[in-house]
Amino acid sequence: MSAAADAIASGALNGRVWFYSNYHCNLQCSYCLTESGPRVLRRELPGEVILDRAAEAEALGFTAFGVTGGEPFIRDDMPALVAELGRRRPTVVLSNATLLNERRLRELEPVADLPVHVQISLDHPDPVANDEMRGPENFRKVMEAIPKLVERGIGVRIATTLEDPDAVDPEQRERLCELHRSMGIPDEDHVVRPIVNRGRAATNDLGLLAGFEQLEPELTVTVDGAFYSPFGPTVRGGRLDSDLLVSRATAPLQRPVDALLRIADQLPDGHDASIGIR
Amino acid sequence: MKHRRSVEQHANEDAVSTAAPLVELVMRDQAPLLARRFFGDGPPSPITASLAQVPELLEVALPFIGAALGPGALDARAKELAILRTSALLECRYCVQTHTAVALDCGLSAEEVRVLRGELELDAAFTAERERTMLAWIDAVAAGRGTVDPGLQSRAAEALADHELVELTLTVTATLMLNRYCTALDLPVSAATLARLTEEGF
Repeated sequence: MSAAADAIASGALNGRVWFYSNYHCNLQCSYCLTESGPRVLRRELPGEVILDRAAEAEALGFTAFGVTGGEPFIRDDMPALVAELGRRRPTVVLSNATLLNERRLRELEPVADLPVHVQISLDHPDPVANDEMRGPENFRKVMEAIPKLVERGIGVRIATTLEDPDAVDPEQRERLCELHRSMGIPDEDHVVRPIVNRGRAATNDLGLLAGFEQLEPELTVTVDGAFYSPFGPTVRGGRLDSDLLVSRATAPLQRPVDALLRIADQLPDGHDASIGIR
Repeated sequence: MKHRRSVEQHANEDAVSTAAPLVELVMRDQAPLLARRFFGDGPPSPITASLAQVPELLEVALPFIGAALGPGALDARAKELAILRTSALLECRYCVQTHTAVALDCGLSAEEVRVLRGELELDAAFTAERERTMLAWIDAVAAGRGTVDPGLQSRAAEALADHELVELTLTVTATLMLNRYCTALDLPVSAATLARLTEEGF
């Protein structure tokens, strides 16, 4: 058993490896960790790099994969990449679901038989309030995309990102849950998480401050290197944050894994790693 | 002397230079997790702050630099002879200015420092045979282009124990690496060091 597998088994390290597939996005959300938008540099992680690192991760004992960005489905090769990842390990891909046109949906059909979930952002049961943070027409596009995924048998999760999840109006929360249940998404596939005060959220003075003590160690591979958590490779003022950088080298994957394990060993007892991107 | 003019010219240029660093110098709030232990309470040195861009290199490079350039079997004075002399020969503005201050702190006289910087002739300050041999060795390793002259090899082997010669040579070669690094990246000398040098007449 590898040191990584031991750490995953003991709970010291999350079993999921994240890939930042790209940094550009068709949306420009007010709390985006990576300042993504249509005009930012793509900074794509090449498909072969994702698959090579995934194969290494599998051999080291990692148990799941995640893909995030940017908007992953802005990339033409994403459906095939997600399918290949899903053949190896359970995979979740984070998406705004606004680019899932008929062609993309057809390309995604092979993942219906695989342990793959598309995790879609939906913040509010009312279109106006939802679109305030996420951009015009977002609500409508999401409402159109979810049933099309569900009817193809593709796994869907809903992610709701809030300034303060504990302070949300219970009636509003219930209406949101009724909405996802009505589309066939059960409560266990609905995650509610706080805005994290990094990237554009920090610029806009939104969200929760989170240091590495509040974050779970989750190996995150980007074109800029390996990070401690998917909350690590954030961008503010056009500049990549390096405070959660583990190593610039990502290959062989054993190198950032060893470094991450050393960092995880330094976590103080009783640390609160309760913030999850999933 | 061409070398002397060049070092002085570099020093003057630095005093008026306000150019931004070529690479971003990583400050404490952005220090990568494995780099944080190398950041003290004050501002990091430009070498630490630039190496923090690649934390896995910083982790091995800084301890190596500390071991290679810090006191060992050779004392701090001998180390500074090697570092300052090599840096002057390589015309590394950052290392010359920084180690001028360090050399003064290690007890070298202003005259000795000027000799090492190439501003005065060797005979003006160094008369002990052991140190003259060391300086000849430093010059040969730092500025030479091939094997060291057999005559100097014999003198060095006589004046220094094997482990001292190894340490002196590694100090020179590690300094050569740093000279190229600091010069290529145009690392800025701290305002405190510049003020100190002005105060000391350099």
